[in-house]
Amino acid sequence: MLYQEELMDHYKYPRNHKTITSPDFAISELNPSCGDRIAIEGKISDDSISDLGFSGSGCVISQATASMLTEHCIGKKVDIALTLSKNDIIAMVGLEMGPTRLKCALLSLQVLQHGLLSLQAKK
Amino acid sequence: MDIAKKRQDFPIFSGRKLIYLDTSATAQKPATVIDALARFYTYNNANTHRGLYELGESSTTHYELTREKVAQFINAKYPNEIIFTKGTTEGINFIASSWVEQHLTHGDEIVLTQAEHHANLLPWQRVAQKTGAKLVFIPIDLETYKTQNPEKYITSRTKLLAVTYSSNVLGDIWDERKQELENLITLAHAVGARVLIDAAQAVMHRRIDIQKLNPDFLVFSGHKMMGPMGIGVLYIKQALHDAVQPYQVGGSMVFSVSFEQATWAASPQKFEAGTQPVAEVFGLGAAIDYINENIDFDQLRQHEARLCSMLIDGLEKLEHDIKIKIHIAGNKNWLREHGHLVSFAITGVHPHDIASYLGAKNIAVRAGHHCAQPLVNLLSIDSLLRVSFGVYNTPEEVEIFLQELTSAVKLLCHSFGSQEYNPVRGE
Repeated sequence: MLYQEELMDHYKYPRNHKTITSPDFAISELNPSCGDRIAIEGKISDDSISDLGFSGSGCVISQATASMLTEHCIGKKVDIALTLSKNDIIAMVGLEMGPTRLKCALLSLQVLQHGLLSLQAKK
Repeated sequence: MDIAKKRQDFPIFSGRKLIYLDTSATAQKPATVIDALARFYTYNNANTHRGLYELGESSTTHYELTREKVAQFINAKYPNEIIFTKGTTEGINFIASSWVEQHLTHGDEIVLTQAEHHANLLPWQRVAQKTGAKLVFIPIDLETYKTQNPEKYITSRTKLLAVTYSSNVLGDIWDERKQELENLITLAHAVGARVLIDAAQAVMHRRIDIQKLNPDFLVFSGHKMMGPMGIGVLYIKQALHDAVQPYQVGGSMVFSVSFEQATWAASPQKFEAGTQPVAEVFGLGAAIDYINENIDFDQLRQHEARLCSMLIDGLEKLEHDIKIKIHIAGNKNWLREHGHLVSFAITGVHPHDIASYLGAKNIAVRAGHHCAQPLVNLLSIDSLLRVSFGVYNTPEEVEIFLQELTSAVKLLCHSFGSQEYNPVRGE
């Protein structure tokens, strides 16, 4: 089976695929080499991520990872979310990926962390 | 043409399941090419143009014989018009910095097409930025996928026409029957412009005839015509050899050197600084031998067009059977008769996902923008899947590809909520 069942499940039935009312941050990014797009909005309270919503379009890996990532990060401390790395994403996706597909998987992490950093910069 | 027999010439296919549909990215190599590299290092390894011992002399002789072989292969008038480079990209950068930059000023125009590969676009963007020259693009008709009124874009301000012979995304963009490209080159010369042809994609599928085409510069890469990677050819018309500066300076390309200055050797040595990839040159020679001995370009065209036709029929049937929309980026009628590749996008499915699925089944195809982002954007598509054929591909492989493509689409095609991924914008 090419794609893990969990991955396909997140692609077909994404979690947190929604908009946030009055988000504390909203960032969106595009990978021009393949057209994958991810936008993430979030709400923070007491240095924790209280809610996340994502939207976007693109390949299975980019969209499913966004779903998994938002599910993983809601309720976590902002600092913890900022330490998530490439290896955490690889573990989440559960697939060996070459450099091209890895870029797809890392897009939502990039967007989330940029969003969280932009908040820190404002302070 | 006995394809099954030809496949045996290519070691990569033996003992493994591989359906290789990415020849436009790089061609697979016959054993004779692979052997040429090993044989050079085993029996002939010596630097060229320097040694006074037998090994050095023989290495030089074979290197120069290959130069003659390349000249004959593309019907260039003189062997010294053939310069060895690392590849197409280096060849274009070479001419951009060693001739074009010195001869263009503010307001001059460089004419390209909208279908250029980044290798034949970015060097000219840089030249335009440095000199104040302007880039002008011959449009691609989005119904015929051929150039639209190309002669309109050649004016008295045109100093360079730099165009692809054949697009790595769309296939043929010139009307061959009307000799459109030859006529455009004649027109460019008539206004005093020089002409560079990017033949990277064409060299494997069309007989290149320099004397018929009459460009000033022409580039291609060895690895796309079954030679090794790391070797390419830059053709420079002899009349321009004095006007073109060396691209790199250093060893081999000098006549005399003092501490303060140097004078150049005669061409082609003037244009080949440092130790050359001699083994790769031998490999390129072996690739030309293989083509000369085993491939008839007319038969190859028929073979590849037949595979394109099967593929297009299959895509149309798929559209009908599982009710999806497939956009073929290319002139279907032309591709059925003359094509060697088919690029397409499927509504609701990302090409990367299809390519990954097929890759896991040992079917090699290419997905993305194919180093032609402006062209793909022009088509209002994010990303295209490309199937490209070579002499070793078979009708059976096309059938298997279509079966697996069907499975991939069934697995991946879906909609969630109100969002359905669509690589084709505006639908």
